Amino acid sequence: MPPSNPLPPKENALFKRILRCYEHKQYKNGLKFAKQILSNPKFAEHGETLAMKGLTLNCLGRKDEAYEYVRRGLRNDLKSPVCWHVYGLLQRSDKKYDEAIKCYRNALKWEKENIQILRDLSLLQIQMRDLEGYKDTRYQLFMLRPTQRASWIGFAMSYHLLGDYEMANSILDAFRTNQMKGPYDYEHSELLLYQNMVLAESGQYERALQHLHKFSTQILDKLSIKETSGEYYLKLKRFKEAEAVYEDLLKRNPENVMYYEKLIEAKQLVTPEEKVAFFDVYKKEYPRAIAPRRLQLTEAVAQPVFEQLVDEYLRHGLHKGIPPLFVDLRSLYSDQSKADTIEKLILQYLEHLAKSGTFGPEESEQKQPASALLWAYYYAAQHFDFKKDTDRALHYIDAAIEHTPTLIELFIVKGRIYKHAGDPVSAYQWLEEAQAMDTADRYVNSKCARYMLRAGHVKRAEEMCAKFTREGVPATENLNEMQCMWFQTEAAAAYKRLHQWGEALKKAHEVDRHFSEIMEDQFDFHSYCMRKMTLRSYVGLLRLEDVLRAHPFYFRCARVAIAVYLRLYTQPLQDAPQTQEPDTVR
Amino acid sequence: MNIRCARPSDLMNMQHCNLLCLPENYQMKYYFYHGLSWPQLSYVAEDEKGHIVGYVLAKMEEDGEDNRHGHITSLAVKRSHRRLGLAQKLMNQASLAMVECFQAKYVSLHVRKSNRAALNLYTNSLGFKILEIEPKYYADGEDAYSMMRDLSAFAAESKDTQPTENLEIKSESAIISQC
Repeated sequence: MPPSNPLPPKENALFKRILRCYEHKQYKNGLKFAKQILSNPKFAEHGETLAMKGLTLNCLGRKDEAYEYVRRGLRNDLKSPVCWHVYGLLQRSDKKYDEAIKCYRNALKWEKENIQILRDLSLLQIQMRDLEGYKDTRYQLFMLRPTQRASWIGFAMSYHLLGDYEMANSILDAFRTNQMKGPYDYEHSELLLYQNMVLAESGQYERALQHLHKFSTQILDKLSIKETSGEYYLKLKRFKEAEAVYEDLLKRNPENVMYYEKLIEAKQLVTPEEKVAFFDVYKKEYPRAIAPRRLQLTEAVAQPVFEQLVDEYLRHGLHKGIPPLFVDLRSLYSDQSKADTIEKLILQYLEHLAKSGTFGPEESEQKQPASALLWAYYYAAQHFDFKKDTDRALHYIDAAIEHTPTLIELFIVKGRIYKHAGDPVSAYQWLEEAQAMDTADRYVNSKCARYMLRAGHVKRAEEMCAKFTREGVPATENLNEMQCMWFQTEAAAAYKRLHQWGEALKKAHEVDRHFSEIMEDQFDFHSYCMRKMTLRSYVGLLRLEDVLRAHPFYFRCARVAIAVYLRLYTQPLQDAPQTQEPDTVR
Repeated sequence: MNIRCARPSDLMNMQHCNLLCLPENYQMKYYFYHGLSWPQLSYVAEDEKGHIVGYVLAKMEEDGEDNRHGHITSLAVKRSHRRLGLAQKLMNQASLAMVECFQAKYVSLHVRKSNRAALNLYTNSLGFKILEIEPKYYADGEDAYSMMRDLSAFAAESKDTQPTENLEIKSESAIISQC
């Protein structure tokens, strides 16, 4: 289609150069060429040139002028697809996606088959989850460019996302047979697995399974083949085959909890006794794996069985000195009798370790290393802390510290006991102690900063964090840049407790902005994943972004912001708010 | 603790774990880039509540057909979950996937010169060798050891589908490390 307002050859050549400068980000030069056209009174109001000048100015950060020029250009040439496209790009850069979509549609009115505009439109449609619109646009792109890979994939994807699995599958089938002529590389492998995902989501497990078998030699991702076929066998109640698959998967990764669960399902084990016996087998098979030993403890119900198993587990952990022993077992405490059994055993170990260096009274008991007593104290402290028995928890942690005054973990637990006891100041002071013992460990540093925030010491927490943020910039700036949401959420809550409403809202909104950014992050992947063929993960990304703000980080922060807004509504600020030093403790 | 391949929905929680544990941090988009370019290569360790307690974020370096190798962008295990062998288990799973899906010959990584604990894990537990020193590799000016681990044992393993057992190494030390 000819431009609605053609320039003579010389000016037209200049206009082409503006376009090229824009593409190559040579904005200053672009403006120079625009000036050469516009300074001629005959073309001073040339629409497309004005629009391009505006778009170029936008890239130089001169937003107000940009809108002025783009709008003026458009007014002068309402039938120009270029002017509409440019207006769309401008709105898109301001994240006004709905407006941008309208502009692209207007542009397409005047030039139906412009591939670039159709592509840009399809990206906005998928970003906005206008799935029907996306399908129509992908259909047009497919009809216009049937030889391009992305045309096929986008076309199929648009049907998949609308739940039309048959159509999506047929397109992928046709594409595979006509377009993909080997080699059977990673992209081919990913495409097959994507097609398989489409089949599975349609609920046709039999067909999905056959598809998987037919192409298994062309698929590189062996783990996915096994995991999905196991899933299908279970859905189809073909238990023997499912069993074989999960046995195989465990060989590969005996620390995967789901494999054990699925294997139990395949073996149709129901009673606790069956399950305990089941884990006995895998404990022997994978002596170095933790999962079968630990899962067995969850399944054991009968007290004597549980006692025997947990006794073995605790002794092993204390003997070797595994610090996470308590956090590992904590979830068993939801069963009171299990918690009681553990307490009985721990007290027994403590008594005998102190007396004779063994776990029990029998002559045959093996002598334990000196560290076993330390780890038993450490466990007992956490155990009684969990039971909210602060005195006993402190008693054991102090005994542990006396035993080994250099172990950082002990000071972290001591701080936690104070935190749970409602003394945030002592809590952070013990964390400060821990932090000073290993200043190169960011985990302890982060914990310490978090405890400081709980105690209302925002500035001190920032200084603590600064030990690990980039030099030369304020810590808060660097933490914000790195989207460090735990800090910002804790800081928002701390400010709220200090009645510094403005500061609290500022932090909450920083977190909100991270979520907006993460929504934006999708944009580039719409086209990237079509090229890379990582379509299963791409669909995973879309589904994540659909519910992104359901993330606990968002909820926690939103809660603070809502509370502050409600407070400001019921008790509006009088005059200028009192500025209170953040670090003055209540 | 459960060890499994990372999914897109894990990536934000991996970023959180990274920010708690390590000085080298990245924006979410970089995690997306890994997860959407090489979805098989990143692994997580999670507790019963589904909280990430350790992860490995990995990628492929695509410089030439005959130099295909994986690279560990970041590996972390929370201090509260050390000495369970998680780092080693995460690394072995990622390495196997590098070989199977991308025919990696070896895997490389960087570690701070001062990070003795991590260096010990890589050399003693995971069979990495120091290749060279990269001066001022880190933003704060510290040098890095550039390390690599040959993956031909994994290649042999993936052919006859025998388990990882023979690749496990004695040492139990699992340390937070900076790559």
